Amino acid sequence: MADSAQHTTIWAVGGGKGGTGKSFLSSSMASCLALQGKRTILLDADLGGANLHNFFGLIRPRCSLTDFFEKKRPLQDLLAHTGVANLQLITGSLGSLESESINYAQKQKLFRHIRALEADHILIDLGGGTHLTTLDTFLLADKMVVVTVPEITAIENMYQFIKSVYYRKLKAIFKAYDLTGLVQDTWKERATHNIRSLKDLISHLRSGSGRIADIFDREMSGFVVQLILNEVRSSKDIMTGENLKHVCVNFLGLRVQYVGPISYDPAVQKNINDKQPFMLFNRLSPVVKEVRQVTDNIVHDTPFNVPEDLLDGRI
Amino acid sequence: MEESNQYFELMELSPEASLDQIRRRYRYLKTLYAGDSIEISALHDDFSQELLADYLQRLDRAFEKLNALREKNKAMAATVVRTEPDPELRDWLAQVGCFDGAALKMIRERLGVDLQAIFAVTRIQPRFLEDIEAEAFGSFPAEVYLRSYLIEYSRFLGLESQRVLNDYLQRYREWTASHRGCGS
Repeated sequence: MADSAQHTTIWAVGGGKGGTGKSFLSSSMASCLALQGKRTILLDADLGGANLHNFFGLIRPRCSLTDFFEKKRPLQDLLAHTGVANLQLITGSLGSLESESINYAQKQKLFRHIRALEADHILIDLGGGTHLTTLDTFLLADKMVVVTVPEITAIENMYQFIKSVYYRKLKAIFKAYDLTGLVQDTWKERATHNIRSLKDLISHLRSGSGRIADIFDREMSGFVVQLILNEVRSSKDIMTGENLKHVCVNFLGLRVQYVGPISYDPAVQKNINDKQPFMLFNRLSPVVKEVRQVTDNIVHDTPFNVPEDLLDGRI
Repeated sequence: MEESNQYFELMELSPEASLDQIRRRYRYLKTLYAGDSIEISALHDDFSQELLADYLQRLDRAFEKLNALREKNKAMAATVVRTEPDPELRDWLAQVGCFDGAALKMIRERLGVDLQAIFAVTRIQPRFLEDIEAEAFGSFPAEVYLRSYLIEYSRFLGLESQRVLNDYLQRYREWTASHRGCGS
C-alpha cells in the first residue's frame, strides 16, 4: 500500500468563499480524470455542508465521514460508487460535525487514511472559510487549487484564504527549523531593516543567511497555488486571473499559476438542479472543454496561455 | 549581468526575454498597478499607497535599465557584424568545400562571436543555434524553420547565405530522407 500511495496525486480545491463553484469544479475535474481511465476518488471535506453527492444524482449515501470520526470506520469502507466509471466518492457529513470540532489526533488520522487510499488521483473538495483544518488539508495536497470568480467579494476572500495558507506554511517551516525566535525579533526591528511586508521580511531573512535561503528554496519549491477563474463572462474577466497572479507574486511574494478561465454558462446550474453529472451530459457547453483544459494544465503543471491581444489591450 | 537579474525578476521575466517582451510586460504591469481594478482594491490591507509608489518606482527603474541593456547588446552585436574577416580567414573561407555544421561553428568561433550575441539580434534560441552547428537535424521537423534560421545565422556572420543554404540543406535533406523510412 505504501508503494501505491507514492503514485497518488492529492488535489485540494479551496478558495475561501462559498458559491464560487468549488464543488462543481472538483466533481467535474474528478469526472474528467476518471473518464481518462484514472482511478479517482472524490472526497467531500466540506464538513457540515457536504453536498457533492448531488452532482452525481445520488441520494445521500448512508456512510459518511461522520462514521470515520465517530464509529472509527476505515476511510476505505466509505467509498461509494458515483455512476461514473473509475470514480468513487466519500461523502462529507451533514450538520453533525463542525470542522472546528475535529481535534489534532483526528486530523492526523484522517490525513494518514487519505494518503493510504488506493487511487491515481484523490480530489478533496474543501468548504469555504479559513478554519485551521481547512488550511491544513489544503497544505496536504500535491495540487493546491483555488477557485474564485471575477467579483470583488470573492477575490477578497481568495486573497485571505491564500494568505492564511501561506502564513500557516511559513509558521510550520519556522517551527521545524527553530527560526521562530529569529523571525519575531526581526519583525520587532522591522523599522530599522525597512521591512514593510511579509515579502520584505522573507527577502531580508534570505539575504542574511545562506542556510535560511536554502531552507526556503527547499521547502517552498513545490508551493504553487493553481488558480481557476470561474464564471467568466468577458475577455476582461479572463485577464482577472492573469492580474491576480501578478499581484500575488509582487505583493504577497507567493507563486500562483493561472490554469485557466471557465465560462459562465446557465446550463451548469440547470444541470446541477437536474442532478446530472455535468461532464457526461453536456458535451456542447464550452465549459466541458475548459474543464478538460484546466484539468490537463494542473496535471502537467502548465499555465494557461493568455491570448496575446488581451495582454496588450487595456485592462 | 548579476545586477540585471534582479530587474528581470522584478518584471517576472527570464533573463532571455527580448526587448519586445520587456516593453510589453512593462506596459502591462504599469497599467495593472496604476489602475483601480478589483484585483488591486481587494488587497487593500497589504497595499498601502506608499508600497505601491515604491513598487512603481522600482518598476520604472528596472525597465529603464533593461531597456538600456538590450539596446547596448544590439549595438554591440551590430558592431560584430560589421567586422571584416581578417585576410587569413577570408582565404580560408574561399576554400571551404562545404558549409556544414562544423565549418559554421569554426567560422563563428574565429570571428569571436558567441551564440548569445547572435540570439540578441536574430532572436533564434541558442539551443537551436547549437543544434545547427552540431547538425542535430532532428530538432528541425520542418525545413522552412531551419531555412530561415540559416539565413539569419549566415547573414549575421557575413557569409553568403545562398551558398550556406545550398550546402547545409543538402545535408539536411539527405538525413531526413534516410530517417523518414525508419519512422523516427
